[in-house]
Amino acid sequence: MTEKICDGKKRLLIGVQTQNAVNDEHPEEGFEMLKHAGFSCCDFSLNAYLSNAALYQFEVNDFFGRSCKELERFFTPHKEAAGVTGITINQMHMPYPNYVPGASKELNEYLWKTVAPKSMEICAFLRCPYIVVHGFKLAHYLGSEDAEWKRTEEFLDFLAPIAKERGITICIENLYCSAGNHLVEGPCCDAEKAARRIDAMNAKYKAEVLGFCFDTGHANLIGIDFEDFIVTLGDRLKVLHIHDNDGIGDLHQMPFTFTKGRESLPSTDWKGFLRGLERIHFDGVLSFETAPVLRTFPEVMKRDVLKLLANIGEYFAGELRG
Amino acid sequence: MNVSCQSIINIERPNQGIIDLRDAGINRIFMPVHVKPSEPAETEQKNKELIEITRERYGSLIEKCGENNIQIAFLRISCAWPDAAGYDAYSATEALALECLVLCKRAGCRMLLIEPPFEIEKDEEQKKLMYECFVRIARQAYGYGVTLLLKNQVRMTGGHMVRGFCAEAGKAIMWLDRLNSELGYDAFGFCVDFGVCNICGIDTHTFIAGLGKRIKAVILRDCDSKSNVAMLPFTCAGSGADWLGLIRGLRDISFDGELAVDFSSTYSAFSPLLRPVLYKLVKETADYVKWQIEIEQNLKKYGKIVLFGAGNMCRAYIKCYGEKYPPIYACDNNPKLWDTTFEGLAVKNPKILQHLPADCGVFICNIYYREIEAQLRAMGIENIEYFSDEYMPSFHYDRLEKKPDNCRTKR
Repeated sequence: MTEKICDGKKRLLIGVQTQNAVNDEHPEEGFEMLKHAGFSCCDFSLNAYLSNAALYQFEVNDFFGRSCKELERFFTPHKEAAGVTGITINQMHMPYPNYVPGASKELNEYLWKTVAPKSMEICAFLRCPYIVVHGFKLAHYLGSEDAEWKRTEEFLDFLAPIAKERGITICIENLYCSAGNHLVEGPCCDAEKAARRIDAMNAKYKAEVLGFCFDTGHANLIGIDFEDFIVTLGDRLKVLHIHDNDGIGDLHQMPFTFTKGRESLPSTDWKGFLRGLERIHFDGVLSFETAPVLRTFPEVMKRDVLKLLANIGEYFAGELRG
Repeated sequence: MNVSCQSIINIERPNQGIIDLRDAGINRIFMPVHVKPSEPAETEQKNKELIEITRERYGSLIEKCGENNIQIAFLRISCAWPDAAGYDAYSATEALALECLVLCKRAGCRMLLIEPPFEIEKDEEQKKLMYECFVRIARQAYGYGVTLLLKNQVRMTGGHMVRGFCAEAGKAIMWLDRLNSELGYDAFGFCVDFGVCNICGIDTHTFIAGLGKRIKAVILRDCDSKSNVAMLPFTCAGSGADWLGLIRGLRDISFDGELAVDFSSTYSAFSPLLRPVLYKLVKETADYVKWQIEIEQNLKKYGKIVLFGAGNMCRAYIKCYGEKYPPIYACDNNPKLWDTTFEGLAVKNPKILQHLPADCGVFICNIYYREIEAQLRAMGIENIEYFSDEYMPSFHYDRLEKKPDNCRTKR
C-alpha cells in the first residue's frame, strides 16, 4: 500500500501534514493541492482541533465533546475529499498532551477518557492505520523515566484494546522536554527501550497495537544518531515525522534548510537518516511534518512550497530505491 | 566522594597556581597532559623526544604538587587521530598513555582518562583499532594499579554537535563490558562528562543510572549547550543543564568517585587579578554539588529531626524523606501556624527548640537560611543543617500559595 512501482522498482510514497493545507470548509481544495504538488498520502492533523498550547494553560475547547456520530459527520467531507483526490490518510496525530501536570482531575480525565478514545474512533472512521501519540512528560515530577513510562503505559493499555479491535497501530514518538532555553531528551528517546516496550505490548495484546514514529527534528535537537536509532527500531518503525531545524528550536522546517558552517553542509544528518531507512528496508510513507513551512512562506507560494517538499520526498525515495 | 578541579597550574611557572589553589582550599586536581601531536612526516625519533619532554615537564609538576600536598585525582589525555598519510596514531597514543601510567605512579593517582578523537564513532575500522589500542594500554595499566577511564563525547555533523563515542549509556556499557570481559578484570571505568550530556540533551538521570557503578568520575562543567566550552557550574543562565538529572542519578548509584570541576573556559575569561576569587567559588560550588548528592547522609547523622519552616520546602521533605527520616515536628516563625498541623506534622513555636535532645538536628526548610541560622545560634542551638528542595527525587505537581488550604487544622 505504501509503495508505488516506478521503472519496475518499488518506490516509497510521499506524505505531508494536512494542517495549513486542508481546511474544514473546503477540504477538497486542500487535498487537490496536495495531490497536485505530488503527494499521495497525508498525515491528518487531528491535533489541530485541540491546541496543545491552550491545554498547557488548562484551557480546553469542546470539539471532542461531540458524539462520535457528530464527529464522523464533521469529518465525512474530509474523508470523501481524500478519497476523490486519491490521497491516502496514512497517519494521524492524536491531540496532545493527554495528561497535563497540575491540571484539574476533570481536564485530565477528559483528555484521557474522551479525547483519546474519540481520536481512535476518528482514526478508524478515516481508515487511517497509524495514530501518533505523545508519551507523558512526567519524569521531573515522578522522579524517573521508568516511572514516567508506567503512566504512559497505563494510557496505552487503555487504548490498546480499541487499537486492536479497529486495526490501528498506535505510534509512540521520540519527544523532547524544555529545560531553560534548552531542549533535552524527553519520552521515547532510547531506541532500545522503545523496542523492548513495543515488543512487550504487542505480545501482551497479540497484535501490532504499538509501533514507533521517528521524528527527525526532535532527534536532531538532542543529537541522536539517526542511523543507529532507526536500525535499532527496525520494523517497529511505522511512520515518520520528517522536518528540519537549527538544532536549537523545534522549528518544523523543510529538510536541508539549516547549516552551521561556512562550508554550508546540512547540519542535520540526512545521509544517516537515509542509511538507516535503507538498512531496515523501510516500506512506510516518507511523511513530512512541516505545517509551519506553509506559514513561513507567503500564502501565494503555498503550492510551490508543497511542490518543493514533495520533490525532496521524491529525492529521498529515489535514494532509497537502492 | 572526592572533589577536585581542573589544574590551573602553569606548567612553566607552577608556583602561583599552587598558591592560589591552596588559598582557595583546593587540594585535589585533575591534570590534562597536553602533548602537541607530531606531524605524520615526523620521525619516530621526534615522537620519542616528545614523550621525554612530557615525562620531564609533567614529572616536575607532579613533584611540585606533592611537595605542596596537592593530590592528583587523575590524568587526562586525548588520542591523536590517524590520517590518510598513514601516521600511526595508535602507537603514538599508546606511547603517551604508557608514559602517563608512569606519571600516575609518581603522582599516586589511580585513574587515567583517555579521550578518543571526535570522529571515531562512525568509523568501524578505526573503532576496532582503537579497541585493540585500549586493550594494549590496559594490560600495562594493570601493573601500575591504574584504572583507565573512557568518557562520553560529541561528534560533528555539518557543524552540529551530536552524540558521539559512548554518548549513550547502552553504547558506553557495551565498550566497557566488552573490554573488561576480555581483560578479565575491571580495567576500564567511566567518566561522565556532564557538558557532553548537556550538549546532546541526554536524560542524565537515566544515563547515570544505566552506567551505575562503572562510573568512577564525573566532570562537572556548564555550557550553553551549543558550544563545547567548560564553564563553572551554574554560570550559563538559561542553559537548561540537567542538574536535576545529574544529582538524581548520582544519588541513585550512591556515587562515591571523583567529582571533577572543569571550569577552564570561565578561568580563561576571568582577569588574572580576579582568579583567586573564582577559585574559591569553584571550591564552594563543588562542595555544594557534593552536598546535594549526599543529602541523605546529612539526614542519617541525627537520631531525631526537626524541620524549621512549614511551607513548600517542608512539604517536599515530607513527600520525599518523611517516611524514611520522619521529623518529630516542625517550627515556624509565623505565630498563626503554631499549634496547627502541616502535612501531618505538628507546627510549633521555635522557642521549643531550646529543649531539644542532644541527638536532634534542626533542618532549615526555608530559603532565608542565614537569617534563621543566626536566630537558632542565638538560641544556643548547635545541630543546625540546611535542607534544599531544589533537586528532589520527585516533585509535587503544584506549589502551595502563601496560605495553603489543604493542611492547616487548628488543634
